[in-house]
Amino acid sequence: MSKAQEHNKAKKYGMVIDLDKCTGCGACMVACMAENNVPFKKDESDKLLSITWMKVYKLTNGKDFPDADICYLPRPCQHCEGQHSGHSPCVSVCPATATDYSTDTGIVSQIYTRCFGCRYCMAACPYHARHFNWWDPVWPAGMEKMLSPDVSVRMRGIVEKCSFCFHRYQRAKDKAYMEDRRELEEHEYQTACTQACPAGAIIFGDLNNPDHEVHKIAQPDPGHHGRPKNPNAFRLLERLGTNPKVYYLSSREWVRKAGDNYLKTEKINKH
Amino acid sequence: MDSALIPKGVQRCSLGKFTLFIGAVSAVLLWGVYAMLLCWLKGLNQTNMNDYYGFALWIWADLAVIALGGGAFFTGFLRYIVGKNELKNIINYAVLIGFICYSSALLILAIDIGQPLRGWFIFWHANVHSMLTEVAFCLSCYFGVLTIEYIPLVLENRQLNKVPFFHNLAHNMHEVMAVFAATGAFLSFFHQGSLGGVAGVLFGRPFAYREGVFIWPWTFFLFTWSAAAYGPCFTLSLTKLLEKVSGKKLVKDNVVELLAKISGWMIITYIIAKIADTWYWAAVTAPEGGFTLMDFYSNNPLYGIWILVLEIVIGGIIPGLILITETGRKNKFLLITAIILACIGVSVNRWVMVLQVMAVPVMSFDIWAMYIPSWQEVATTILPVAYGVILVALSYRYLPIFPQERELNPITD
Amino acid sequence: MKIDRRSFLSLGVGAGAGIALSPLPWKLTDDSSIWTQMWPWTPVPRDGAVNYVNTASTICSGGCGLSVRKIDDRAVKVEGLKGYPGSNGNACIHCMAGIQMLYSPNAVKSPMKRTGKRGEGKWQPISWDEAISETAKKLGELRESGKASTLACILNSDYGTIPALFKQFLNAFGSPNFMRTPSYQDAYEMTLALMHQTDSMAVFDAENADFVLSFGSGIIDGWGSSVRMFKANSSWKEKNVKLVQIEPRLSNTAAKSDQWLPVNPGTELILALGIAHVIITESLYNKDFVEKYAEGFEDWTDNEGNKQKGFKNFVLEGYSPSYAARVTGIEANTIVKLAKDFAGASAPLALCGRGQGTTPGSIHEFMAVHALNALVGNINKKGGIWAMPKPDYIKWEQAKLDDTAREGLKVPRADGAGTEKFPHAKYLLTRLPEVINSAKESPIQALFVSGANPAYTLPDTKAVAKAFASIPFIVSFTSHMDETAEMADIILPNHGHFERYEDIPAPPGYNKPVVGLARPVISPQHNTRHVGDTLIAIAGKLGGTIAESFPWKSYEECLEKTMGENWTSIQESGVITNPDYEAPGWDTAFETSSKKFAFIPGNHNPGNNSLQIPVIEGNDNYRLTLIPYDSMRLAAGPVGNTPFVTKTVSEKVLKGNDICIEINPKTAEKYGLKQGQYAILTTPKGKAKVKTELSPGIMPDIIAMPRGLGHTGIDEYLAGKGININELIGPVEDPASGLDAAWGIKADLVKA
Repeated sequence: MSKAQEHNKAKKYGMVIDLDKCTGCGACMVACMAENNVPFKKDESDKLLSITWMKVYKLTNGKDFPDADICYLPRPCQHCEGQHSGHSPCVSVCPATATDYSTDTGIVSQIYTRCFGCRYCMAACPYHARHFNWWDPVWPAGMEKMLSPDVSVRMRGIVEKCSFCFHRYQRAKDKAYMEDRRELEEHEYQTACTQACPAGAIIFGDLNNPDHEVHKIAQPDPGHHGRPKNPNAFRLLERLGTNPKVYYLSSREWVRKAGDNYLKTEKINKH
Repeated sequence: MDSALIPKGVQRCSLGKFTLFIGAVSAVLLWGVYAMLLCWLKGLNQTNMNDYYGFALWIWADLAVIALGGGAFFTGFLRYIVGKNELKNIINYAVLIGFICYSSALLILAIDIGQPLRGWFIFWHANVHSMLTEVAFCLSCYFGVLTIEYIPLVLENRQLNKVPFFHNLAHNMHEVMAVFAATGAFLSFFHQGSLGGVAGVLFGRPFAYREGVFIWPWTFFLFTWSAAAYGPCFTLSLTKLLEKVSGKKLVKDNVVELLAKISGWMIITYIIAKIADTWYWAAVTAPEGGFTLMDFYSNNPLYGIWILVLEIVIGGIIPGLILITETGRKNKFLLITAIILACIGVSVNRWVMVLQVMAVPVMSFDIWAMYIPSWQEVATTILPVAYGVILVALSYRYLPIFPQERELNPITD
Repeated sequence: MKIDRRSFLSLGVGAGAGIALSPLPWKLTDDSSIWTQMWPWTPVPRDGAVNYVNTASTICSGGCGLSVRKIDDRAVKVEGLKGYPGSNGNACIHCMAGIQMLYSPNAVKSPMKRTGKRGEGKWQPISWDEAISETAKKLGELRESGKASTLACILNSDYGTIPALFKQFLNAFGSPNFMRTPSYQDAYEMTLALMHQTDSMAVFDAENADFVLSFGSGIIDGWGSSVRMFKANSSWKEKNVKLVQIEPRLSNTAAKSDQWLPVNPGTELILALGIAHVIITESLYNKDFVEKYAEGFEDWTDNEGNKQKGFKNFVLEGYSPSYAARVTGIEANTIVKLAKDFAGASAPLALCGRGQGTTPGSIHEFMAVHALNALVGNINKKGGIWAMPKPDYIKWEQAKLDDTAREGLKVPRADGAGTEKFPHAKYLLTRLPEVINSAKESPIQALFVSGANPAYTLPDTKAVAKAFASIPFIVSFTSHMDETAEMADIILPNHGHFERYEDIPAPPGYNKPVVGLARPVISPQHNTRHVGDTLIAIAGKLGGTIAESFPWKSYEECLEKTMGENWTSIQESGVITNPDYEAPGWDTAFETSSKKFAFIPGNHNPGNNSLQIPVIEGNDNYRLTLIPYDSMRLAAGPVGNTPFVTKTVSEKVLKGNDICIEINPKTAEKYGLKQGQYAILTTPKGKAKVKTELSPGIMPDIIAMPRGLGHTGIDEYLAGKGININELIGPVEDPASGLDAAWGIKADLVKA
């Protein structure tokens, strides 16, 4: 492969989240909210009405005391690729092309000004990664000063979701361009949650790039739509063929098993 | 007072009584309009929908009325394409009901979307791979067709028909109606199917997901088929209702029985296909995703296996069997029971494909989502019903909807 | 008529067609959609120049180093500061959301004077001159009436220039009553004072430990310097370091540990001694340390010729694994195995301080756990616990004292700390409410509160409120309307946390000397004043020796002079630290008369008496035991949750305004309770309506409630949500130390 071709090679940005390290502290959620101008209401305890691009689920092993165990699982948008390029559950259904799959970066975008709020994408997403703006976003007097100009504030009546902090990608690309570079270094483009995780549980990078940590850890199998070869790695709902770009690591079998659904007769078939 | 507007040779109740009735229904309508305005002005926070339950009561109502309104295209198809001429005696009513159902469906969609003023983006920025785009295009076009089919009916009003232009227009439109009926049938086949596809393509939702051919999941075909099968039952049940309300026989039994018989056979064939689909889904498609059938019907307070029994057995096999037997069709009680059960059956199917899809957890650690509609949703869902009642009442009073009415109800004095 | 109608119709149709064919409808449709895309009520963030300001956090207790992203003059995002000791590039959840506090509409916008009754919430903005004059006048009157010693100051720390200014003020004024809010650091400091005879801080070389035995410390639940502990925990995962968590509830730390040992709450002390028993019996202890550098292990004869029992026989006689098993509920062979694993590791580390360590706990428990570290010889060693000197960079001239001050300083402390009864205690704030409430006239006549929120954080809120009610003059220096400010007479608002300078020394538990610098990120948003400047101004107003004790024009000058030659470097790097610091070796570490570690401190020999588990409040009529728990997502200290952080709180903790109580499903069944049900929780201290949350992760008959909810103040995103556990729990005085040793309270839960 020539140098030029190598440079033009499509990126496939993805994540590896080490659930053994994740402490469930919630810093990723707050970092995400602050980075992306996510609104908040007085009561956010109805989680089905709470906009959380990054949501930390609490998993339980279902056993009684004292064998009970819990594990936290941060869930950003999984940026699914589907079985053929860009056929992610949500992108394939959006009637107005308000959400799209970038074959350059593997990022599923959301165009807020085009979305007209039919919510079909939310119905399509099994991860509940998509959230609807049921209300107008309201910042109390004075607090609108904290809004970042890098991300537009969403209006009522549309769907929003994690963008892998796409504006950070653009920022990094701009900087590289100014420095006459085509390629980004691994550290130049990192999502806000990755940067924030105090436990270092989130790793972000290009899954197509063998030098990147995400590739090394997840070892995506190109023959099986990126299924991880690392025996401790799994993806959420691997069996449904959504082909997500977020990989999880756990040393605990019950956690790995919770990533998918299995029939009682099935043995967890880890490759 | 309004006797000049009433078709010749038929009897109608007094204007006062009629006004009172329309007034009562209008009150309900206004309640719905108020709720609708709340949703538009304050946003969808007026509903009890949420991020898990993004499709809810009125989308079910939307799908249900479209399925039930399927009587229009299928009766039209039978009348104009297949050539079942007897059906001309019920086609007007079928068209009217179809018109009501489809205009309601469009209205509901306009309320349902978060940004109604941008609703047209679905056409402007259309994603042709989306089933919803297909639905939007076909639905709008077919609504146009239904309008064209309904206009000559309006023009046949006694006074309007006196205008030569309107008279001639109505006449000419009737002449070419077969073309529109064919177009309508084609469009309808498609968008009924795309509505089925809406749920069936959701490969992230094993409860809804179905395999199929090309881009179309089996639900695509099942929806078209079921709308064709059950739609006439709705036309018939509303005919029977109107007969009951007006106290007059409006359509001859042979017409009713013919439509019932066709519907019955359609239901039976549909339900066989549906059972095959359900079996394949439960035995192959869902298990591939790690789900057993009972995963979809347990561990929650509402969604039990009874739903499947209600949809397939009580709302499918039973009415189908009644309608294909002559005794069943001829027995008034059985006939009524069958068409009502059929309407329930198809409504349950649409309910399942909308609401239960939202309720079933997919991730192993997720929860069943339960949902109770808010009054605004209920009011907005009832709104089209009130609107439909008013339109039926007006049409029945002033338009010659039932060609056989005069013959069946001769004015004696 | 006919023609009219016809022409009307034609006109109508014609007009309709005309309009439809004109660009008008299309233009309107387009315009309306564009309008929805830029609704005037949806804010559009202003763009501007990006810049970063590095600072240290004053809002979390963990000492995060922060880098604040700014757009022009607006702070928009908090990120971790790379290279900052401990937090290195990361920040805790509360710091990350700190901007919401900065721009909170509930910030105190100017000095305020109470106009209504206490706690009524009626305030009148006053000028700074007025506020300072009035405060000085009240204080002057106290001095004149010979009650100088009745001024008390409550702060959340006693390190750094701000506490030092308050101490200076109290000294010059003539009161011994400086008080730090209680925490596990009190108990650790006392443990070191007793066993090492040093005035030092307990810090931990956590990253280098290879076996961690935690007696309920919420290592990843906010204990110590939270971000640093998260990182340490992650490094343990990478190095396969074993973590054993001992606590009755499956906390996040317990869940992430390699072994969770649900212990009968309060019996950790006995477990520690049981483990010691095994280590001694099996002779697994570090002989070098125990024999050469420690005393009180073997029996000895004191100067008066009395036989004294040493630690060895004390443990061997009283705390066999089978006894410990009976008390703690942990099987004897588990204890034996645990002791062997612990002693067998090359750098084993035992920790204590429950949860985030917001209550001190039993001093004997701390000593027992510390004795475990001593047995394995992991004191002041790599991967062990270190006794590190307290920050000592503040070298001011001592306060100048006049006669009034000298007289006042002779009066014993109101909370009893340092008195004959509690000679080792420095601060006993939890005793203060009871002291005030049982006195005819409150021994505290004026109170300054800065950086603390005792009305919320102290146990037994009702007693605290009652005590505060009998303090005639309360001054709050808060920048937010917290619960203590609600009870104040005057509020002298400090600058917000990103608006001021402050030195932030000694992140808790961090084993290198650190002084971080908080500095203004943005200019003050309101008519506030730096607490240091306010104090200097009050001192100036009081005049005399008090004014002379504050030789600085401003706080900034004070800070600059205090830092001396380090001022430039701390401004540049935001921190002064010594990464090469090593704890002193065993031969120089201990300040006892023998220069050895004291297993049994001379005046603290329990002799033949067995050590007591602190008895919590409540009788047997209460069927359950309530324990508090801590979570990273709930700020339980002086600063409350910001809206973003509250948004992360699980619906299984807070649902609407209802707080959820964790209860074992079997216990719930036993008492006829179901999931998600309303129930009335009763304790000897109070009653509350709660919701049940069935959890198999908690011991039967124990119920757990989160700290950090039930605020009445702060802001509308937090006030009124849940219950403050301090309303239901009271302090339990440790007879040996005077510190609050409560680990729970008896409770009952019945269906509402």
